[in-house]
Amino acid sequence: MTTVLQHPAYEEERLQRVAEQLPCRELQAGMLLSLMGEPQHYSYPSIFIYGHRASGKSHVMHVLLKELELPHATVSCVECISVTLLFEQVLLSFFGCDAASLLPRSPSLSDFVRVYRQQCSHSPAKETRYIVMEKAELLRDTDANLLPALLRLQELVEDNVTVILLSEIVWDKFRPNTGCFEPLVLNFPDYSKGELQQILSQDRHPSYSAEFYSSYINILLGVFYSVCRDLRELRHLAALNFSKFCEPLAEGKVKETDTHKLWRNIEPHLKRAMQTVYLREVSSLQWEQMQQMEEKETGALRGLSAHTHVELPYYSKFLLIAAYLASYNPARTDKRFFLKHHGKIRKTKFLKKNEKTSNHLLGPKPFALDRLLAIFYSVVDSRIAPTASIFSQISSLVTLQLLTQVSHDDQLDAPKYKCAVSMDFICAISRTVNFDIVKYLYDFL
Amino acid sequence: MSTSSVSKGCFVFKPSAKKRKTLSPKDYFSDGCEGAENSDVRFKLCQDLWDKIKTDTEVLQDELNRKILDSLLDFTRKCSSTRQHSDWALQMRASEIPTAALVLGVNVPDHDMTFQSLSELLQQSVTPHVASVQAKECGALKHLMKRVLERLMDTVVAVDDDEEEAAEQTNGQVHKSVHCSLNTLCDWYNTVTKKSNSGTPGKKRSSPVKDEQQQPPVVVIFKDLEAFNPRVLQDFILICSRYIDRLPLMFIFGIATSPSTIQHMLPHSVSSLLCIELFQSLSCTQHLATVIDKLILTNDFPFKLNSKVMQVLISIFLYHDFSVRNFIKGVQLALLEHFHSQPLSVLCCKKKDAQLNVMQLSHRNLERIKQLPSFKRYIEKQEPQEQASLLNDDTHLKEVCKKLIKDLHKYHKNYYPILSCLHTLTSSLPRYPLGKQIRELHLTCLEKNVWENEDYQSAMKLLKMLAKDELITLLQRCAEILQPVKSKKIKEALVHLEELLAKLKQLDTAAAAETSPTVEETITSPMKNLQKKTDLFQLQKTLLEMNESRRSKKLSPFEVLRNEALDFIDDLVKKHLSPPESHTLNEVCYYSSSATVRRHLNATPRTCIQAALSSPYYYLQNENLKTEDGSVSNAAPDICIAYKLHLECGRLINLCDWLEAYSTVVSAAEGNDPDSDNFGKVDDVKHARFIRAVSELEFLGFIKSTKQKTDHVARLTWGGC
Amino acid sequence: MTTGYTAFLLLCVFIRLHFQVQKILRERFCHQKLPEKPEGVEAQHKHLLELLKRTAIHGESNSVLIVGPRGAGKTMVSLHSGLKMGLCVEMPEKKMNCIEVCLLQTDDRIALKEITRQLHLENAVGDKVFGSFAENLAFLLEALKKGDRSSSRPVLFVLDEFDLFAHHKNQTLLYNLFDVSQSAQAPVAVVGLTCRLDVLELLEKRVKSRFSHRQIHLLSSLTFSQYLERVRAQLSLPGSFPDSKFAQDWNGGIETLCEDKSVEEVLQRHFNSSTDFRSIQMLLMLCLSRVSVAKPTIKPADLLEASRLCLSDAKANMLHGLSILELCLIIAMKHLNDVYEGEPFNLQMVHNEFKKFLHRKSNSMYNFDQPVIMKAFEHLQQLELIRPVDGSSAKTQREYQLMRLMLDHSQIMEALQKYPQCPTDVKQWAMSAFG
Repeated sequence: MTTVLQHPAYEEERLQRVAEQLPCRELQAGMLLSLMGEPQHYSYPSIFIYGHRASGKSHVMHVLLKELELPHATVSCVECISVTLLFEQVLLSFFGCDAASLLPRSPSLSDFVRVYRQQCSHSPAKETRYIVMEKAELLRDTDANLLPALLRLQELVEDNVTVILLSEIVWDKFRPNTGCFEPLVLNFPDYSKGELQQILSQDRHPSYSAEFYSSYINILLGVFYSVCRDLRELRHLAALNFSKFCEPLAEGKVKETDTHKLWRNIEPHLKRAMQTVYLREVSSLQWEQMQQMEEKETGALRGLSAHTHVELPYYSKFLLIAAYLASYNPARTDKRFFLKHHGKIRKTKFLKKNEKTSNHLLGPKPFALDRLLAIFYSVVDSRIAPTASIFSQISSLVTLQLLTQVSHDDQLDAPKYKCAVSMDFICAISRTVNFDIVKYLYDFL
Repeated sequence: MSTSSVSKGCFVFKPSAKKRKTLSPKDYFSDGCEGAENSDVRFKLCQDLWDKIKTDTEVLQDELNRKILDSLLDFTRKCSSTRQHSDWALQMRASEIPTAALVLGVNVPDHDMTFQSLSELLQQSVTPHVASVQAKECGALKHLMKRVLERLMDTVVAVDDDEEEAAEQTNGQVHKSVHCSLNTLCDWYNTVTKKSNSGTPGKKRSSPVKDEQQQPPVVVIFKDLEAFNPRVLQDFILICSRYIDRLPLMFIFGIATSPSTIQHMLPHSVSSLLCIELFQSLSCTQHLATVIDKLILTNDFPFKLNSKVMQVLISIFLYHDFSVRNFIKGVQLALLEHFHSQPLSVLCCKKKDAQLNVMQLSHRNLERIKQLPSFKRYIEKQEPQEQASLLNDDTHLKEVCKKLIKDLHKYHKNYYPILSCLHTLTSSLPRYPLGKQIRELHLTCLEKNVWENEDYQSAMKLLKMLAKDELITLLQRCAEILQPVKSKKIKEALVHLEELLAKLKQLDTAAAAETSPTVEETITSPMKNLQKKTDLFQLQKTLLEMNESRRSKKLSPFEVLRNEALDFIDDLVKKHLSPPESHTLNEVCYYSSSATVRRHLNATPRTCIQAALSSPYYYLQNENLKTEDGSVSNAAPDICIAYKLHLECGRLINLCDWLEAYSTVVSAAEGNDPDSDNFGKVDDVKHARFIRAVSELEFLGFIKSTKQKTDHVARLTWGGC
Repeated sequence: MTTGYTAFLLLCVFIRLHFQVQKILRERFCHQKLPEKPEGVEAQHKHLLELLKRTAIHGESNSVLIVGPRGAGKTMVSLHSGLKMGLCVEMPEKKMNCIEVCLLQTDDRIALKEITRQLHLENAVGDKVFGSFAENLAFLLEALKKGDRSSSRPVLFVLDEFDLFAHHKNQTLLYNLFDVSQSAQAPVAVVGLTCRLDVLELLEKRVKSRFSHRQIHLLSSLTFSQYLERVRAQLSLPGSFPDSKFAQDWNGGIETLCEDKSVEEVLQRHFNSSTDFRSIQMLLMLCLSRVSVAKPTIKPADLLEASRLCLSDAKANMLHGLSILELCLIIAMKHLNDVYEGEPFNLQMVHNEFKKFLHRKSNSMYNFDQPVIMKAFEHLQQLELIRPVDGSSAKTQREYQLMRLMLDHSQIMEALQKYPQCPTDVKQWAMSAFG
């Protein structure tokens, strides 16, 4: 790998060290190095690096700048609630805190540039300075001039500085409509399967041999690679399932080399884990508990998503049901559903042919309060006085986000709501009050 | 009040000073309550009782929360310790922020208490650095940051010695949001931890868990996760994850609905930064059950609720809000009402005090006692001369009252143990003939004689089919319940029960020989399969055939014993579980006006308004407004008339017609003769009054102006007459 | 031995020279330093120079707009002329001081501060309070005056990103500057630089009326041969290079490079896409970065590689990294787009479409439950491969929020071809006319 990283400016073993810290990213690192060139030289004013999450963008930058001891400032844009923080961090890491304190209370861009200029007139850059911006996509949300200014910062501050933007989003989405100085765009491609294998095998369990672990990783990738290529997620899964994988070893049933047995042992668990990939529902601890639980009765994996059941007061349940009906049934059908003897409305003419897309695809429609109440009264079996607590329940359902208020909060006259629960949820609810909701849903006639 | 001024003008008369003295709750209590003479005594009693209830419930709350809180604390400890941990699995997850998802149920009003105790416990036992935030105070990210930083550093200001620098640091960042970054927090954290490790005073509390205290975690509690703006939350978590190596952060999410909301709020890129652990708090129904056990079904509160009031409170809980807090509030209301409205509630207290208070009773109160229905019934039962002496001789009456009070207390003393015995016996039966929860049984007992309703009968039948081992276990449980009670009757009962048990047991040893196994199984087996299939039809069928079998063959000694035992239980019930109404002077302790409670706790504003409009007499108590068959007299206020008229209209109301009708009615009220030509003429005054009435109706939300037709208004209510 | 030593010496020399090359070229490409003379835009430069001279010498104020696409050399021209005037030799007391205001000054107050600073009048202003913006400006110009109008020092204002100033609150700065340039106060020249042809529409009437509608257009009429020439010029070393021998070799290398057919094609493609100065510089920068001591010359291959980097389709790259599930969702969206002529869709529909696909095939490899699908969908949204239809409020649940696909048919297909270990059935599904 030493062949990849070569540069006259830095001595060998340093580059060596860098290369070791950047497995499977030598190519990109080399590219960057050659672009940066010799520290004394100018580098391109702004470089834009994009690539998927966990493709090593910030890691590579960090390692390079750290190991080669180049002057740099790393800023995460998500952290910059105000541009002030951004300016401060940059000045701080270049010129020390006294420079940062020179900024006025709420500094403008020009203040920043001014301070920067006068500072670097005192201490001009012998080496190229680098400003690394993580999550650069957030720069678009700040005031319009910031991004263009950063892109040509070198020319504005007349200093040997390079701005490096890191993002998951392609550059085309950044370009302001009147255009701006175009940065040098680089791509960090996702890791291939082999690379993933190599990287994941590095964090091996101390008490097991390397090849054992890598065989484990091999199995893991075999299952998950098709659905998940996110390094971070894979690492998480590896950590989660490893203990299970080693179990037969601990019991002394099989020996490390017998991969096939191990595979047969672990495979069902991995398959089950597949169903909840990306959900991060369970911490490792819970996971183990579940595994034990499964030994006894093979219940499906109960992660966060499984606990969807919600205890509700009796009338709240009916209110929710009514809301669901109100938002998934067309208003004109209420008559048929809720009138005891809706004489002549024949099912044939009541079902319109023209509407073929069901409301469960289009989503809930807003409804007015009184429609909700009308349905509520006809749905609930006993007759209830319209007490204050009924209404308060509606609002508390809104705060629980089971309903959403569509109309604006200050509109008191005829508030509109939407039902925000899923089909399964409402079915579970109506089962508890044994109310057959499907009979009342227009889509399922 | 008059002035000597000749000039016209308005004069302000300040009320004199003595009028403006602020009233203490005591005064509020005493004014306008029945029998003011002993009001302060009652107030005192009421106060004490309420304080007792309050403290008890709080203790209860704490020990209910204890379990989940403890597990949470363990979790936090674990997390804070894993920092130094060298376990591989934990190392792999070192970059994740430990997060506890705390599912609390939908009874939001109760949550505050839980969080309060939680943060206190945390601060005592795990870490001094706890900040809890609410959604409504963090609209934007910077607000959230600000809150968190302030809270954390303020707690430090409270703990640490050097106030000033920390103080100026905090208010520095209050003024200038520049410092509002986690960097500040990290620096601050480092200084604090260094201090604590060098062992300054101020963290003495952290002594028990010294080893963690090297790195006490920084806990952020999000009280109501659902209400947070997802964007803000995501950004905050992203920022925090950048500092996780320098700052041992951990989160606690308070969730009302279900854990899956976390997934709804956080995309994978964010949730992958968290290591979520789930904690389920106990459901509020269980909570209520315990509260009722400790509060209602106990002998140490003289104050009781009768069945109706109980019904109201429980139904409010079950139907409207799962809030235990509100339930207790309801009890408080009932308590207050009772002592406020019932003069004889002086006797509602501990036995001895009651005895004393009886002696203090004034003549009027004795009269009141005589008026009590239960007491009347009592008198009727007595012999004539006894009656006479009761009615005329106050001292004698007092003596009797003392006795009666004693009886009442005895009754209570016996009631609850027996109740729970019955519950233990019946609660395991199929289909729960007497209810699953003890509160249901309690209600039935309060209403009327339990042994008269058929559920009880069927329950008894079922009990008669119990196999021996089951019966023995149940009876033993009963014995355990009766054990601690020290009342004469119960003691006797207990003795008897022990004997029965002994018999059963030794039967067990001896009997095996003579009782033919066939009988055994014929008796036990149906019960067995009855456990399994428990639909009503099956039940009756099996019951029938049981009877068959019983009639067919002579009883085995076990059956004899069993029947004996059950009869014993039965007459225990008959003796002790009679409803309170049957007991004399029960009005003293039992609060009965459910209507009041309902009116206060479950208000129906709209019906009130409608009642007021349709029958003004109900509120105004004015004789000539009295009408029959719900029609409004034309002397009623304008708005009532307008309302009445509008009820007769359809969805759209023509204002002109309405005005016409109105003016006719009103002029009829003025009593000008119907056939004079200007009868029902609209003059300006009527017009003005009409307009006013209409606008009032609009304000009350019965009508609203509409675009559909000119000079029409739309009705907002259905139906009418 | 000696030979070895000499070889070593040569190597050292070579490295130093190479260092020089990098230094010079990088300064050209990266650090937009003004070239000695404006290339390609001499005419416009002359025109501007004339105007400024008039201001400087006869003290008559002027205002002019320089309009041209990005990288056409607006700044270069104006600064050049500014510089020239700054040190115009014939009458030293008429030195013009040149003030540049640009996109940094996000509002007029800040701009004015900047101006004050550049006129070195901070202490003169001190902490005076001015009633209005105009007064303040007037004072500044006043301060510049010495004696009568003819002898006062003219000022050149260069407003970079002119259109941004038009967006400032009621265009105070522009109004005042133009006003000054109209009225016979201190002689000023206002030069606005913009890339918007319609910039005059942005101006308020009162501002517009005060502007002398003078415009200089920098529309590069570059032919390919000139373009090629420029590339050569950019790459080749100046005569001032220390080692003339080395320079000749290098320039020779460049010559051969530019003759190369493939290189010409590449340059042609770039020329067609944009004649922009900077896009070339970026390309050449990439080439230069591939030059090292080990590989001292630019080969055609380097240029090809560089252009490949420049022209690579970013979205395709991103698609390559998606998980199979996300890819499936995208295919489902594509089908939806085909069926409903690009109507917006929501997650439910997509999931439904996906389910249809799963039903048709036996093995249930990919039937995940809703939450997982949701996560994948979120990820796509995060990558901005799909974008919510504006107007669909945040109040709607996520699974029902209406979305549009930001990819076109060809991109998806191309990505599918490139995709590592793409299951055939998924491919076929993508190919099939209807989901």
